[in-house]
Amino acid sequence: MVNLGKSGLDRRALAWGGVGVVLTLALTFLGSDGLRWFDSALIGYLFGLVFAVFAITYRYSVWLRRPPTAMLNRRGWDSFRERPSRNLLSLPALIGSHLLVQGFIRKRSTSRWLAHQFVFWGCILAGLITIPLTMGWLHFQSVGQQADRYQVYFSRVGTVSFDAASIVGWLAFHALDVAAVLVLIGVFIFLRRRLSDPGALAVERSGDFLALAGLFAVSVTGLFLTISSTLLEGQFYPALNTLHALTVILGLMYLPFGKLFHIFQRPANLGVAYYKQVNLDGPQAECRRCGEPFCGIQQVTDVQLVLEQVGFDYSSEDGDNYQNTCPGCRRRQVALAQSLRVGGFG
Amino acid sequence: MKYRPNEAPVFVIDQSRCIGCEACVQGCMECGTHRGQSLIHLERIDRATTTQTAPMVCMHCEDPTCAQVCPADAIKQDEGGIVHSALKPRCIGCSNCVIACPFGVPRFMAELDQMMKCDMCIDRTSEGLKPMCASVCPSEALWYGTREEFADNRRGELIREFRFGRQDVRTLVYTVVDDLAPGPLDVLRGFERSWLEDPFDLEGGAHDAGLGFS
Amino acid sequence: MSRIPISEEELISRYGPHLNEEPPGGWDGGIVPDRVVQTHCCFCGQQCGIKLKVKDNEVIGFEPWYEFPFNEGKLCPKGVKRYLQGSHPDRLMHPLERDSTSPSGFRQISWDDALNRVASEVRRIQEEHGPDAFAMLSGVSLTNEKSYLVGKFARLALGTANLDYNGRFCMVSAGAGNKKALGVDRAPNPWSDIPLADVVWVAGSNIAETFPITTSYIWKARDRGARLIVQDPRVVPLARTADLFLPVRPGSDSALFGAVLHQLIRNDWLDHEFIDNHTVDFDQAAAAVADMTPAWAASITGVAAARIEEAAELWGTSATGMLLHARGIEQQSKGVDNVLAAINLGLATGKFGKPGCGVSTITGQGNGQGGREQGHKCDQLPGNRDISNPEHREHVAGVWGCDESEIPGKGLSAEEIIEAIHEGSIKGLLSICFNPLVSAPDSNFTKEALDKLEFYSVIDFFLSESAQHADMVLPGSLHEEDEGTATSGEGRIIKINAATEPPGEARLDWEILVDLAERLDRGQYFPFQSSKEIFEELRLASAGGTADYRGVTWERVEAEMGLFWPVPEEGHPGTPRLFEGGKFYHPDGKARFHPIPFRESAEVVDDEYPIWLTTGRVVSQYLSGTQTRRIGALVRQYPEPLCEMHPQLAAQLGVSDGDLITVTSRRGDMVLPAQVVATIRPDTVFIPFHWPGRKAVNQLTNRALDPISRMPEFKVSAVRIDRVDDSQRAGESSEPRPA
Ligand code: SF4
Ligand code: SF4
Ligand code: SF4
Repeated sequence: MVNLGKSGLDRRALAWGGVGVVLTLALTFLGSDGLRWFDSALIGYLFGLVFAVFAITYRYSVWLRRPPTAMLNRRGWDSFRERPSRNLLSLPALIGSHLLVQGFIRKRSTSRWLAHQFVFWGCILAGLITIPLTMGWLHFQSVGQQADRYQVYFSRVGTVSFDAASIVGWLAFHALDVAAVLVLIGVFIFLRRRLSDPGALAVERSGDFLALAGLFAVSVTGLFLTISSTLLEGQFYPALNTLHALTVILGLMYLPFGKLFHIFQRPANLGVAYYKQVNLDGPQAECRRCGEPFCGIQQVTDVQLVLEQVGFDYSSEDGDNYQNTCPGCRRRQVALAQSLRVGGFG
Repeated sequence: MKYRPNEAPVFVIDQSRCIGCEACVQGCMECGTHRGQSLIHLERIDRATTTQTAPMVCMHCEDPTCAQVCPADAIKQDEGGIVHSALKPRCIGCSNCVIACPFGVPRFMAELDQMMKCDMCIDRTSEGLKPMCASVCPSEALWYGTREEFADNRRGELIREFRFGRQDVRTLVYTVVDDLAPGPLDVLRGFERSWLEDPFDLEGGAHDAGLGFS
Repeated sequence: MSRIPISEEELISRYGPHLNEEPPGGWDGGIVPDRVVQTHCCFCGQQCGIKLKVKDNEVIGFEPWYEFPFNEGKLCPKGVKRYLQGSHPDRLMHPLERDSTSPSGFRQISWDDALNRVASEVRRIQEEHGPDAFAMLSGVSLTNEKSYLVGKFARLALGTANLDYNGRFCMVSAGAGNKKALGVDRAPNPWSDIPLADVVWVAGSNIAETFPITTSYIWKARDRGARLIVQDPRVVPLARTADLFLPVRPGSDSALFGAVLHQLIRNDWLDHEFIDNHTVDFDQAAAAVADMTPAWAASITGVAAARIEEAAELWGTSATGMLLHARGIEQQSKGVDNVLAAINLGLATGKFGKPGCGVSTITGQGNGQGGREQGHKCDQLPGNRDISNPEHREHVAGVWGCDESEIPGKGLSAEEIIEAIHEGSIKGLLSICFNPLVSAPDSNFTKEALDKLEFYSVIDFFLSESAQHADMVLPGSLHEEDEGTATSGEGRIIKINAATEPPGEARLDWEILVDLAERLDRGQYFPFQSSKEIFEELRLASAGGTADYRGVTWERVEAEMGLFWPVPEEGHPGTPRLFEGGKFYHPDGKARFHPIPFRESAEVVDDEYPIWLTTGRVVSQYLSGTQTRRIGALVRQYPEPLCEMHPQLAAQLGVSDGDLITVTSRRGDMVLPAQVVATIRPDTVFIPFHWPGRKAVNQLTNRALDPISRMPEFKVSAVRIDRVDDSQRAGESSEPRPA
């Protein structure tokens, strides 16, 4: 048996991780115009980011090489290429429904979906702002002599400008607060669900709480910063700033290992959608026992191959493979075999 | 009535006793971890010829085939050997597990775009309670208790090795056999066989009700 | 004329059956209950213990009650989903008066107006046509307290002799047979005796679907090595694994039992000591079976002689044995004969009053056992007393504080009441928990009868098909809304606890009756302030009767998780097993053998109607379905009736599985899909009975009654079957629709 995930460090994945780190650093250097716009106060964040990139790339490439994942990865792309134009056309809708709107969560439970949407959009918003900021891609400059007019710079290119006192200005400076509030709302709905529902609690893994705790800590310390600067005239600011940085950096380092890694795995869902379509349209495997079609031949064959790769042998003497029987007939066959061996009752 | 962990209760499935009442199916829907979704399976073997029915719960394989073919690494086994439903954030809904599981257990829930499966009522068993299906089953085709309780009350030997062609699978859930032949339950060797050959003596010609039966 | 006020479709769209799919708050709601109430399932005579989870006066789910000894947490699907009958969109919340001008067919009125109208109609009809022209029909979904109250209410408040109950269609043949042979009407054994039997013989009972929990008791016996005999026209799920299967032709059971007795005598597999000391009339019974050889019985029953001989040998040579029978042998025009013939087998081999020994009926309805003994049966007074016996009348009159002459005499049985309504001698009817339009035989006739009523009032929680005909509907209470006791099929008195209060203006059933008695100026006999007070009076009324509850207290019942009657005084341990030491309940202490010559059913197959029809239940439905046809998960399990037939018969008729067929009897016809299965006798078809209207198999069944028990012959009729051509396919459907 392949001992998944317990095989020491993986050289190839290390290399990919290295590539990721180099790429991130290069992009930071280039994007910040040779570090000109890089804010050295954010060096801790950059460290966290680089670490996260390394570890995520590492884990992702290990994951991608597991036989079933590799198979799916290949098949996903194959399926996509089979009808490129049609598939390209359907891509936005798929991304919308599977990755952004996440209707499948809503089918499970509305409150859970709501919570997830809040956290999801909060994180997206925060990521879109902080990552470019950290990498020095984004900065603000005051326009001319006007102390309260700012322009947003993307690298060395000036883009929009706004009045600090305007709504846009407020939003620009408080976007992260908005993100934090979104996340907190989501976290609270999640927590309420979990604490009030014994069933949910039972399947809870400690990792789930850790993820919620992390999101909570990052959001709350971030909000404290704003409170300190706007209401407390900067009291405790340095200490809070360090605290916030610490939570964010820890969060970034947790990202590749914990529950939140699903953010990076999830897009594979799109490949699955294409693969399933191909298998729906293609020839169907018929059950050896009842003769009914139960799945696309391609996927059955793929799974049989994967089974072999991970060390199973479901073949029988007559050259057949057990997975050629439909799941319902497998259940029936187990029952019939068992009944035969309690023949003494009859 | 709760079991303590050191009593090590086991789950036993004895399909031969099933009466097809569906209490397990209805009870499963009431489980805390998946309310409204029934995850247990109940098959009619072939209603045209027999009333035989067969339940199937997850057997909780020691080396779970389902987990090994999962591209998303979403199927996890806990310290107690329970193989859980796919982790919700990870499962990408590919159905590989459905195709691979030798016992035909995982269900792909199209609406939710993910796999769910029997988790031996982890919310109950972790607290020493019987799983819902094995609590309600009127025929004790689904049974949960200690091995001593089984030996005291029921006939037959408990085994948990199954053979599918060349593949042997060992599970956490036991089944019952009543013969002395040792060895795994050879699933491919099962065939339809009625306890009652010719229940109405149609060969013997007992029926003659003016309808021309003979 | 109690005709339905508007079309049936319109009534259904307003009052259901609609399907309740989810607990209150939905599947996704939090499931932390405020409290958990230990009570029982209401859907069969086994009365399984169950815990109901309650939140904000609604039942939101259940939890197995592992400690309750009868079922140890086990439940069938009805028990699992029973909680969904609460918080139901169809629930009746207000008194309704028929009003064909209202779009819903009824209009809401106040309780005051409703009860006054009922009282005045009772008075009017009784003044014009005599007291017995107003009848009452009751049901054994009621607790002992309510059953007792109904008995007293009908006799003292309505002053009518014509009170009967729906057990008339269920357990009366067994009750009558038991009384005749054993002197008492109760299952002789606690179920804990079943595992002690060396042979278990199940006659006319589809245990897997109708008494599912009993399956585990039978397996316990088999795990000890017991042999299982199943006697049934179908290979029911339990029969599938039986050691010996006796596929009797419907209506031939007493021939089979007779041949077995014949064999027992011939091989001297008899307990002479028992016969001599504890029974009488063995010789008469023996004489009646002298010619009933297995070969003869084979020709009548269609069961091979060898199997009959084997059954006799198993029964005759096993040290212990239990014969369990139910509606299959009892719902016949010779149901009592069948029961007596079965009891003969127990008496002949001494299988009574010992561990693992007994011939026992399996009570079908929820409180079928307790309800019938406490007084809403037309011929009985509380404590299983005889309404025609002067001493018994005196005793009860003493407890009731009335003059003996005020208690009316024996009235008509349920089916006879329906016939009297049809013929015009009964003009008014009050019914509670009874849906005769679905449950009585020959439903076209029943419908005509209901249409003829001058006044019909119904106490119920849903608008049943019969209640659609009512002039006045009084919203009563669900099982989980009131407390009291019930007596399970084992004879175990158990405590029903209230989980919630009746919603809206609905009221507790007993309060409605007490209030109505007040308005009939008989309030002095009904001073009850609580269900418990009714029970205290019941104890006194039953005292000294065979079903003696004198020593029973609610507290003990709860603390001991049930008490088996008789419990003649406080502190008495109860009587789980009857007849110990061979003591029977006849004055001489001896049991009675009965000679049972074979006679045919009221209707037999002929050229015109060549196929036997038998009816029965499915596991997911209960009785007329008033409750269970409103629970989505149960309806989906078996949505509508199918006609089971053997492939040989199907081939002769040119029918394939799923084809629509017309089944016609002398009383009516129905169209339904065929289910072609090799698990039924080729000369017999089976249709389950839980559905109304054109889906009711009772359109076909026969009103012929057993001469003693007045049980209609649900289990045997003769029919003709034709395939429906595709062109004829009727699109009609009275499917329940989702809420
Ligand atoms: S029975 Fe199937 S679903 Fe259960 S652990 Fe084994 S492979 Fe996985
Ligand atoms: S509850 Fe038990 S007897 Fe009923 S269907 Fe399920 S396994 Fe079979
Ligand atoms: S219907 Fe009968 S067997 Fe089923 S749960 Fe209720 S009492 Fe038990």
